[in-house]
Amino acid sequence: MGFFYIGDEAAVEGASHGADIAVIVAGGELDFAASPQIRERLGERIEAGVRRLIVDLSGATFIDSTAIGALVAMAAQVDELDGGSLLVVCPDENRRLLRIFEIAGIESLIAVHSSRAEAMRELAVAG
Amino acid sequence: MNTAVERTDAELAIGDLRLPAQPAKLNLAREYAHHAAVAFGLDADRCYEFAFAVNEAVTNAIRHGRPDAHGDIHLSVSVEDDRLTLSVCDYGKFSGYAPIGAIDADRGRGFMLMTRVMDAVQLCIGAGSTTVRLSKARL
Repeated sequence: MGFFYIGDEAAVEGASHGADIAVIVAGGELDFAASPQIRERLGERIEAGVRRLIVDLSGATFIDSTAIGALVAMAAQVDELDGGSLLVVCPDENRRLLRIFEIAGIESLIAVHSSRAEAMRELAVAG
Repeated sequence: MNTAVERTDAELAIGDLRLPAQPAKLNLAREYAHHAAVAFGLDADRCYEFAFAVNEAVTNAIRHGRPDAHGDIHLSVSVEDDRLTLSVCDYGKFSGYAPIGAIDADRGRGFMLMTRVMDAVQLCIGAGSTTVRLSKARL
Protein backbone atom coordinates (compact mmCIF):
# COMPACT_ATOMS: atom_id res chain seq x y z
CA MET A 1 0.00 0.00 0.00
CA GLY A 2 1.12 3.57 -0.64
CA PHE A 3 2.11 5.87 2.19
CA PHE A 4 -0.94 7.46 3.79
CA TYR A 5 -1.89 8.98 7.11
CA ILE A 6 -4.92 10.61 8.66
CA GLY A 7 -5.34 12.07 12.12
CA ASP A 8 -7.11 14.63 14.26
CA GLU A 9 -5.32 17.75 15.30
CA ALA A 10 -6.28 17.53 18.98
CA ALA A 11 -4.63 20.81 19.98
CA VAL A 12 -7.27 22.80 18.15
CA GLU A 13 -10.29 21.22 19.71
CA GLY A 14 -11.80 22.82 22.75
CA ALA A 15 -9.44 25.75 22.44
CA SER A 16 -10.42 29.25 21.42
CA HIS A 17 -12.09 27.97 18.27
CA GLY A 18 -14.76 26.05 20.12
CA ALA A 19 -15.48 22.37 20.36
CA ASP A 20 -17.41 22.18 17.11
CA ILE A 21 -14.40 22.73 14.87
CA ALA A 22 -12.22 19.78 13.97
CA VAL A 23 -8.99 19.87 12.02
CA ILE A 24 -8.23 16.61 10.28
CA VAL A 25 -4.85 16.13 8.69
CA ALA A 26 -4.60 13.70 5.77
CA GLY A 27 -1.31 13.21 3.97
CA GLY A 28 0.62 10.95 1.66
CA GLU A 29 -1.15 9.23 -1.21
CA LEU A 30 -4.92 9.65 -1.03
CA ASP A 31 -6.15 6.89 -3.32
CA PHE A 32 -8.89 4.25 -3.24
CA ALA A 33 -7.03 2.42 -0.45
CA ALA A 34 -7.22 5.58 1.66
CA SER A 35 -10.52 7.21 0.65
CA PRO A 36 -12.82 4.88 2.67
CA GLN A 37 -10.84 5.87 5.77
CA ILE A 38 -11.18 9.57 4.94
CA ARG A 39 -14.92 9.16 4.57
CA GLU A 40 -15.14 7.16 7.78
CA ARG A 41 -13.02 9.55 9.83
CA LEU A 42 -14.92 12.63 8.68
CA GLY A 43 -18.22 10.81 9.17
CA GLU A 44 -17.26 10.00 12.76
CA ARG A 45 -16.51 13.64 13.51
CA ILE A 46 -19.84 14.74 12.07
CA GLU A 47 -21.62 12.00 14.07
CA ALA A 48 -19.87 13.28 17.16
CA GLY A 49 -21.46 16.68 16.62
CA VAL A 50 -18.73 18.53 14.77
CA ARG A 51 -20.25 20.99 12.34
CA ARG A 52 -17.18 22.76 11.02
CA LEU A 53 -14.35 20.71 9.59
CA ILE A 54 -10.99 21.69 8.20
CA VAL A 55 -9.26 18.98 6.19
CA ASP A 56 -5.59 19.85 5.90
CA LEU A 57 -4.05 18.27 2.80
CA SER A 58 -0.74 20.16 2.95
CA GLY A 59 1.16 16.88 3.24
CA ALA A 60 -0.75 15.02 0.53
CA THR A 61 1.31 14.05 -2.52
CA PHE A 62 -1.52 12.49 -4.50
CA ILE A 63 -5.31 12.52 -4.58
CA ASP A 64 -7.61 10.48 -6.80
CA SER A 65 -11.27 10.76 -7.79
CA THR A 66 -12.46 8.53 -4.94
CA ALA A 67 -10.78 10.69 -2.27
CA ILE A 68 -12.15 13.82 -3.96
CA GLY A 69 -15.53 12.06 -3.99
CA ALA A 70 -15.25 11.40 -0.25
CA LEU A 71 -14.49 15.07 0.44
CA VAL A 72 -17.32 16.27 -1.83
CA ALA A 73 -19.79 13.85 -0.22
CA MET A 74 -18.79 14.88 3.29
CA ALA A 75 -18.92 18.57 2.38
CA ALA A 76 -22.43 18.07 1.01
CA GLN A 77 -23.45 16.20 4.17
CA VAL A 78 -22.14 18.87 6.53
CA ASP A 79 -23.63 21.67 4.41
CA GLU A 80 -27.08 20.29 5.22
CA LEU A 81 -26.48 20.88 8.91
CA ASP A 82 -27.13 24.18 10.63
CA GLY A 83 -23.89 26.16 10.52
CA GLY A 84 -22.08 23.28 8.89
CA SER A 85 -19.03 23.81 6.72
CA LEU A 86 -16.10 21.79 5.38
CA LEU A 87 -12.97 23.56 4.19
CA VAL A 88 -9.89 22.06 2.59
CA VAL A 89 -6.38 23.42 3.14
CA CYS A 90 -3.86 23.06 0.34
CA PRO A 91 -0.94 25.50 0.11
CA ASP A 92 0.10 27.12 -3.18
CA GLU A 93 3.34 25.09 -3.13
CA ASN A 94 1.34 21.87 -3.48
CA ARG A 95 0.89 22.53 -7.19
CA ARG A 96 0.13 18.95 -8.16
CA LEU A 97 -2.81 18.60 -5.80
CA LEU A 98 -4.14 22.00 -6.84
CA ARG A 99 -3.81 20.96 -10.49
CA ILE A 100 -5.95 17.88 -9.84
CA PHE A 101 -8.53 20.03 -8.03
CA GLU A 102 -8.55 22.34 -11.03
CA ILE A 103 -8.96 19.45 -13.49
CA ALA A 104 -11.71 17.97 -11.33
CA GLY A 105 -13.45 21.32 -11.09
CA ILE A 106 -14.18 21.06 -7.38
CA GLU A 107 -14.05 24.81 -6.71
CA SER A 108 -17.82 25.06 -6.77
CA LEU A 109 -18.20 22.07 -4.44
CA ILE A 110 -15.47 22.55 -1.84
CA ALA A 111 -13.72 25.68 -0.58
CA VAL A 112 -9.93 25.32 -0.82
CA HIS A 113 -7.77 27.64 1.30
CA SER A 114 -4.03 28.08 1.08
CA SER A 115 -3.37 27.92 4.81
CA ARG A 116 -4.97 26.67 7.98
CA ALA A 117 -4.98 30.20 9.40
CA GLU A 118 -6.95 31.40 6.38
CA ALA A 119 -9.44 28.55 6.78
CA MET A 120 -9.81 29.36 10.48
CA ARG A 121 -10.51 33.01 9.66
CA GLU A 122 -13.14 31.94 7.14
CA LEU A 123 -14.85 29.77 9.75
CA ALA A 124 -14.67 32.54 12.34
CA VAL A 125 -16.41 34.92 9.92
CA ALA A 126 -18.98 32.30 8.95
CA GLY A 127 -19.51 31.14 12.51
CA MET B 1 23.29 0.52 -35.91
CA ASN B 2 20.29 1.19 -33.77
CA THR B 3 17.34 2.88 -35.33
CA ALA B 4 15.39 5.44 -33.36
CA VAL B 5 12.64 2.93 -32.81
CA GLU B 6 15.01 0.34 -31.37
CA ARG B 7 16.49 2.91 -29.04
CA THR B 8 13.02 3.84 -27.83
CA ASP B 9 12.23 0.19 -27.17
CA ALA B 10 15.50 -0.28 -25.31
CA GLU B 11 14.82 2.78 -23.20
CA LEU B 12 11.37 1.56 -22.32
CA ALA B 13 12.28 -2.10 -21.70
CA ILE B 14 9.33 -2.37 -19.36
CA GLY B 15 7.48 -5.64 -19.20
CA ASP B 16 3.81 -6.19 -18.51
CA LEU B 17 2.47 -5.94 -15.00
CA ARG B 18 0.04 -8.38 -13.48
CA LEU B 19 -1.43 -6.47 -10.61
CA PRO B 20 -3.58 -8.01 -7.86
CA ALA B 21 -6.98 -6.30 -8.07
CA GLN B 22 -6.73 -4.76 -4.62
CA PRO B 23 -6.85 -1.08 -3.58
CA ALA B 24 -3.68 -1.57 -1.53
CA LYS B 25 -1.79 -2.36 -4.76
CA LEU B 26 -2.70 0.87 -6.56
CA ASN B 27 0.61 2.47 -5.64
CA LEU B 28 2.34 -0.24 -7.72
CA ALA B 29 0.22 0.71 -10.74
CA ARG B 30 1.23 4.36 -10.27
CA GLU B 31 4.91 3.43 -9.95
CA TYR B 32 4.71 1.30 -13.10
CA ALA B 33 3.04 4.11 -15.03
CA HIS B 34 5.42 6.75 -13.71
CA HIS B 35 8.42 4.58 -14.56
CA ALA B 36 7.15 4.11 -18.13
CA ALA B 37 6.47 7.84 -18.53
CA VAL B 38 9.95 8.78 -17.26
CA ALA B 39 11.58 6.20 -19.55
CA PHE B 40 9.58 7.54 -22.48
CA GLY B 41 10.74 11.07 -21.72
CA LEU B 42 7.66 12.94 -20.58
CA ASP B 43 8.38 15.97 -18.40
CA ALA B 44 7.71 15.79 -14.66
CA ASP B 45 4.22 17.28 -14.75
CA ARG B 46 3.13 15.01 -17.59
CA CYS B 47 4.59 11.96 -15.83
CA TYR B 48 2.47 12.84 -12.81
CA GLU B 49 -0.63 13.25 -15.00
CA PHE B 50 0.10 9.96 -16.73
CA ALA B 51 0.34 8.08 -13.41
CA PHE B 52 -2.77 9.89 -12.21
CA ALA B 53 -4.84 8.74 -15.20
CA VAL B 54 -3.56 5.16 -14.98
CA ASN B 55 -4.47 5.12 -11.29
CA GLU B 56 -8.03 6.12 -12.24
CA ALA B 57 -8.28 3.37 -14.86
CA VAL B 58 -6.98 0.71 -12.47
CA THR B 59 -9.29 1.96 -9.72
CA ASN B 60 -12.24 1.59 -12.11
CA ALA B 61 -11.08 -1.92 -13.04
CA ILE B 62 -10.86 -2.90 -9.35
CA ARG B 63 -14.22 -1.36 -8.49
CA HIS B 64 -16.30 -2.25 -11.50
CA GLY B 65 -14.39 -4.87 -13.47
CA ARG B 66 -13.21 -8.41 -12.80
CA PRO B 67 -9.70 -9.76 -12.45
CA ASP B 68 -8.39 -12.84 -14.27
CA ALA B 69 -8.49 -16.33 -12.71
CA HIS B 70 -5.44 -15.40 -10.61
CA GLY B 71 -7.06 -12.26 -9.26
CA ASP B 72 -4.99 -9.94 -11.44
CA ILE B 73 -5.56 -6.97 -13.72
CA HIS B 74 -3.15 -6.67 -16.66
CA LEU B 75 -1.13 -3.56 -17.46
CA SER B 76 1.12 -3.13 -20.48
CA VAL B 77 2.88 -0.29 -22.26
CA SER B 78 3.56 0.38 -25.91
CA VAL B 79 5.11 3.16 -27.95
CA GLU B 80 3.80 4.21 -31.31
CA ASP B 81 5.24 7.18 -33.16
CA ASP B 82 5.66 9.80 -30.48
CA ARG B 83 2.98 8.48 -28.22
CA LEU B 84 3.14 6.37 -25.09
CA THR B 85 0.15 4.12 -24.44
CA LEU B 86 -0.60 2.20 -21.29
CA SER B 87 -3.35 -0.41 -21.44
CA VAL B 88 -5.33 -1.55 -18.43
CA CYS B 89 -7.24 -4.77 -19.05
CA ASP B 90 -9.76 -6.48 -16.82
CA TYR B 91 -12.04 -9.42 -17.53
CA GLY B 92 -15.39 -8.00 -16.62
CA LYS B 93 -18.29 -7.15 -18.83
CA PHE B 94 -18.39 -3.40 -19.24
CA SER B 95 -21.61 -2.04 -17.80
CA GLY B 96 -21.21 1.63 -18.56
CA TYR B 97 -20.00 4.60 -16.61
CA ALA B 98 -22.13 7.29 -15.07
CA PRO B 99 -22.74 10.20 -17.45
CA ILE B 100 -19.55 12.14 -18.03
CA GLY B 101 -19.88 15.54 -16.44
CA ALA B 102 -21.98 14.36 -13.50
CA ILE B 103 -19.36 15.90 -11.29
CA ASP B 104 -21.01 15.15 -7.98
CA ALA B 105 -21.47 11.50 -8.80
CA ASP B 106 -18.68 9.35 -7.47
CA ARG B 107 -18.57 7.19 -10.57
CA GLY B 108 -17.96 9.02 -13.78
CA ARG B 109 -15.60 11.52 -12.23
CA GLY B 110 -12.66 9.15 -12.68
CA PHE B 111 -13.26 8.66 -16.37
CA MET B 112 -13.79 12.38 -16.94
CA LEU B 113 -10.48 13.11 -15.20
CA MET B 114 -8.66 10.58 -17.37
CA THR B 115 -9.87 12.28 -20.53
CA ARG B 116 -8.78 15.68 -19.25
CA VAL B 117 -5.15 14.75 -18.59
CA MET B 118 -4.52 12.32 -21.44
CA ASP B 119 -4.21 13.04 -25.16
CA ALA B 120 -6.39 10.02 -25.93
CA VAL B 121 -8.46 7.55 -23.94
CA GLN B 122 -9.82 4.51 -25.76
CA LEU B 123 -12.25 2.04 -24.31
CA CYS B 124 -12.09 -1.39 -25.97
CA ILE B 125 -14.95 -3.63 -25.00
CA GLY B 126 -14.40 -7.28 -25.86
CA ALA B 127 -16.56 -10.35 -25.30
CA GLY B 128 -14.80 -11.23 -22.07
CA SER B 129 -12.64 -8.25 -21.29
CA THR B 130 -12.55 -4.48 -21.02
CA THR B 131 -9.40 -2.54 -21.90
CA VAL B 132 -8.77 1.12 -21.35
CA ARG B 133 -5.93 2.51 -23.46
CA LEU B 134 -4.42 5.73 -22.16
CA SER B 135 -2.12 7.69 -24.46
CA LYS B 136 0.05 10.72 -24.05
CA ALA B 137 2.36 12.24 -26.63
CA ARG B 138 5.81 13.65 -26.04
CA LEU B 139 5.63 17.41 -26.42
